Formats: sequence, structure tokens, C-alpha cells
Amino acid sequence: MELENRISNKALTVWKISGLIGSSITWIICIAIFTLTVFFEWTYWVFGGVVILSIIQSYLTIFLMPSVKWKRWRYEVRNTEIDIQSGIFVIKRTLIPMIRVQHVETKQGPLLRKYDLASVEISTAATMHVIPALDLAEADELRHYISRMASVEEEDV
Amino acid sequence: MSEPKRLHPVAVLLNILKSIKELVVPFVLVIVIPGRNEGIPGWVQPLAISVIVLFLIIHAFLQWLRFTYRMEDGEFRIESGVFVRKKRYIKLDRIHSIDISQGIIQRIFRLVKVNIETAGGTQADAVLSAIGKRDAGRINAFISTEKNKTAIDVPEMEKDRHSRHEGAVEASSVYKQTLPQLVAMAATSGAVGVFLSGAIAFISQFDEIIPFDRIFKNYEAFIGMGTIILTAFAIVGLLAVYVLATVSMVMKYASFTVMKTGEELIISRGLLEKRQLTIPIHKIQGIRVIENLVRKPLGFATVYLEYAGGSVEDKESLTIMLFPFIKKKLLQAKLGEMLPAYQTISEMTPIPKRALSRYVFRKAVFIIPIIGVLSWFFKPWGFLSLILFPLGIFWAYMEYKDAAWNIDGDLLLLSHRLFSKQTLIMQRSRIQAICYKRSWFQSRKGLATISASIKSGVHARIGLVMDVEEEDCRTIESWYLPKKTVDSR
Repeated sequence: MELENRISNKALTVWKISGLIGSSITWIICIAIFTLTVFFEWTYWVFGGVVILSIIQSYLTIFLMPSVKWKRWRYEVRNTEIDIQSGIFVIKRTLIPMIRVQHVETKQGPLLRKYDLASVEISTAATMHVIPALDLAEADELRHYISRMASVEEEDV
Repeated sequence: MSEPKRLHPVAVLLNILKSIKELVVPFVLVIVIPGRNEGIPGWVQPLAISVIVLFLIIHAFLQWLRFTYRMEDGEFRIESGVFVRKKRYIKLDRIHSIDISQGIIQRIFRLVKVNIETAGGTQADAVLSAIGKRDAGRINAFISTEKNKTAIDVPEMEKDRHSRHEGAVEASSVYKQTLPQLVAMAATSGAVGVFLSGAIAFISQFDEIIPFDRIFKNYEAFIGMGTIILTAFAIVGLLAVYVLATVSMVMKYASFTVMKTGEELIISRGLLEKRQLTIPIHKIQGIRVIENLVRKPLGFATVYLEYAGGSVEDKESLTIMLFPFIKKKLLQAKLGEMLPAYQTISEMTPIPKRALSRYVFRKAVFIIPIIGVLSWFFKPWGFLSLILFPLGIFWAYMEYKDAAWNIDGDLLLLSHRLFSKQTLIMQRSRIQAICYKRSWFQSRKGLATISASIKSGVHARIGLVMDVEEEDCRTIESWYLPKKTVDSR
């Protein structure tokens, strides 16, 4: 029983870009180590090790993880509950009944804004759940829908 | 009781003490640490200090003068503030707990401090730092009668069901912890660890002030006497700390009593600092049963209440004991008396046998490298670390054995073990979210980790069981789906 909705295609691009930003920082560190190695005549083993780690990190964060993550990410918002599936190596399924939802938020960072995306944050009294990178219109609609469904049934914390 | 009231004048003193406490750090930073400044005349410092103290006293007095509380229109209303006037109105049926405590100053003047808390926050929502005992009693009574009124007015599912329960057991039941039980509880509590680390931290603070070097130089001969005597001293020292920790724990929980009166639980305890906590039963989020390493083999457990009140500032308000030390066999009967909604007698469902290898694997993953490193670098003594291996397997086995779940009517029970065994008993209507995870290894065996969270204090309390049959996760999920909640309305 796979869930119906996927998150936006563009999320893949956004994740790849943020992976790129993350690994570029590592590469800057690599260059710094390289200059230090040249100047102080350290052994090149350190530099080599860091380069290999950076290559692995770049591959994982730019290519492998975004696509696996995107494939895993599914969600379904029904009348009475929200069902979320996420994860890369560990697949996680979360079930939140509508009556537990306290409030819903949509959020947009600079990167998400550029691609006209938004993430939806669903808070219960005790926990917070995020659906990342939906199309802005879809996110807004979802927010309205959830808050409408959640307010149907009033209950104490 | 709707006319505005002030606190007892002792509150002025308490206000002063509180601001002094808050000012200690900046005071030390500004005045003590810079020491004597050459440029400034000698009279400036005393003048500055006396001005500050005078200001504190006036401020404390004004604070007291401006602080009033009253109860009207089903709300508890507080108005306060010297420069910024604050009005805080708390709806009575939003109140999660009333905490009445007595510090030393309150004790001298025969007063009490009342904390009124709504769902978790960083600080208590309303603090009446010093009022007469009779006033506190009146507030308590007023709030609970007011709440009962609303409970009848509003035919809310939750309250309705509970009031029916209460109707059946109108006579309030009482649970008392006897002194021997308390001593046994304190002795097996593991508070020693906290106490010990506290003591070490305390001593290390004075490391520079107390001339340990000089003391120990004189005792060099004494140290020369050999390891046996030193060990003996260490053991005596540890024993002393242990006894101290136990005694302080006993004092903290002395005369522990839980009373059930209609809609509320009243928990009172303490010898030097008395505390009394009133919790409306329908605000309780769940029950947590902890069996620690020592108590479990003896068949005893500690039971905590999970509730959404409590404040981060006051750590003790976050964990509320319901039964500090109770025989596991008697637990369900007692629970049935106090909180019938949480009583369950059916057996827990264990996790499948094939999960055992997962538990062993998880332990092996970090034990084998440790053994490897120790054996390699610390030959030959490092080989002793091989003992860790059977220990780890035994530990894994215990974890496996204690992992279980159960659904009983409206209750979900999840239990797992790290060191202590934790069993979380939750009502369906209190669970905020359920999730289950499976890693690649788990899905190959058809297992999953299930967890459920309830609100506790400011954050969540999470119950979880690792390596449950995947089918069972589905069962729990479909049990949780709110279709039945809708039906019952």
C-alpha cells in the first residue's frame, strides 16, 4: 500500500543544489589543506584522505541521496489523518490524525522561493512533521485543507 | 471570591531574594572580579551597592503592591508588573495542574507557594509566591468546582466518560508510601550517581581555593601506607555519599500520598520542602512504568504520570511520580483504583524470535570494535575486554525479552529497555502521532520499529518497540486511525 502523492519534481533540483553548496564547503576545506600541505611540507596522505572523503560526500549528497530521498518521499492527506513516508536507508511512516493537529505552516527559504516551492510544517501538541518542497499553490491549498479539517474537531491537549 | 487580592507581604522578601539571586552573576562580574580600581574614589562602590539594594527593595515592594489575583467568569486573573503592566487571564479548564509547595521561608510564616500551570511552557503560568494556606485551599476548591461545572455543561466525550467513571468510585481512594518502602526506593534509585557527580562538580569548583596540594603533601606518609587503606577510604567515602543520597531522597519523598478526589489526583510529598500537586484526571496524557536494573529483579517498579503541564524552569514539575515504589503485581490493581482508564490486565505481545539476532547484531556492531581496539593496544590486559562480548549478548537478550506491545481497548502499551525497562501506557485519544520505521535489514526480516508520542511537559514522550512484526505495525496503525473516534461522537 504505497501512498499516493509525491513531492514536487523540482525538489530534486533543490536538494541537489543544497548538496552542491554543502560539498563546495568541503572542497574549500580541501583546498585550504592542500595549500597548507604545500607550504608546510606535510605528508600528502592527509590531503589524499580528505579528497577521497569529499568525493564520496559529493557523490552522496549531490547524486545518490536526493534521488533516493525523492523516490521514498510520499504523503497522503485524507479526511481524518495525514500519512507521511520518508527516509533514505530507514523508511519511516508517520500517521497523524487530523484532530491532533494544532497548526499548519508553510515555509519558504530562498532556494525554495527561487523554484516556487514551499514546505508544509504540521505541528501537533508534542511533535512536528514537515512535508518538504511542494509547489507553492499546492502547499497553500494543503495548508488550508489541513487547518480546515483540523478545526472540525476540537479537543484538548 | 472575585475581588482582587494581594499576596502576603512576605512576598516582598521573596521578591528581593529572587532578584538578588538573579543579580549575583552580573554583580560578581562587575564588582568583585575587577577588584579595586585605582581611578575611582573609594566611596563610589559602597554608594553604588546601596543604591542598587535600595532600588531592589523599592522594586520588590512595588511588585508586591501591583500584583493582584482574582477569579471571575471562569478565569483566573492576574495583574502584575511595575513598569510594564501585565494582565494574565487563564481559563480554568485550561489549567493542567496546581502545584502547592512550601519552601523554608514560606514554612516560617506558615504560607504556601502556588504554581498554576497550563500546557507546558518555559515557566509556570501563574506563580503566587506567598499566600495563606486557607487561601490556597480556597483557590484549589474554587478551580476544581468550577471545572466540574464545565465538565457537566459541556458534554465532551472525554470528560463525560471520566465523570461516569468517577460516579462509580465516588469514595476517594488513597495511596500511601510507607517509610520502609521509601527507604527501599531511595536505596535502589540510582540517585547516587547524580549526587556523586554533583559532589565531584562541587569539589572541583573549590579545587583552586582549597590547597589540596598542601594537604596532601602532609599526608604523603599516609598515602605511602598503600593501596588497601586508600581503597578502604574510597569505599567508605562512596558509602557515605550513597547514604547521603538515600537520605536526601527519602526526605524529598517523605510521606508520599496520592489521593483521588472526584475529578482530580492530589499528590503530596516532602519533609523540608512540602509539595502538593493537583492534576485534573482528564489532563493526564499517559502513564510510564519504569523498572530499573535493581528494582526489576526484585519485582518493583516506579510509575510516573505524563501530563502536559510543568515548566522547564522547575525541573521537578516535569516528572511526576504516581507510585514511587510499587510491587509490580499490585500495580494494575492500584492503577484500577486511581486511574481506571489506564488499567490493563491482558498479556503483552512479545516480538518475534527472529528479532533476537537483530538485537545481538546491534550490540555487536559497537562492542566488537571496542574489544578490537582494547585488545590491540593494551595487550595483554586488553583481552579482559572480551568479557564485554557475553555481557553484550546478555544485554541484547534482555532488551529482546523486554520488548513488547499490546493493545487493550483504548490503550496502547509499548515497552522497551535500554538499561531500565520503560512501559508507556497511552490512551488512543492522547497519542499525537504514530510512526514506524524499517531499515533495509529490518524489511528483509519483515520487522519494523514502532513509536508513538504523547505530550509530556514541553516536549514529547516517545514510547517505542524495536523489531516488531510488520503485520503488528499495521494492526497498531489501523487501531490508531481515528475512525472510531468519529463513531463515538
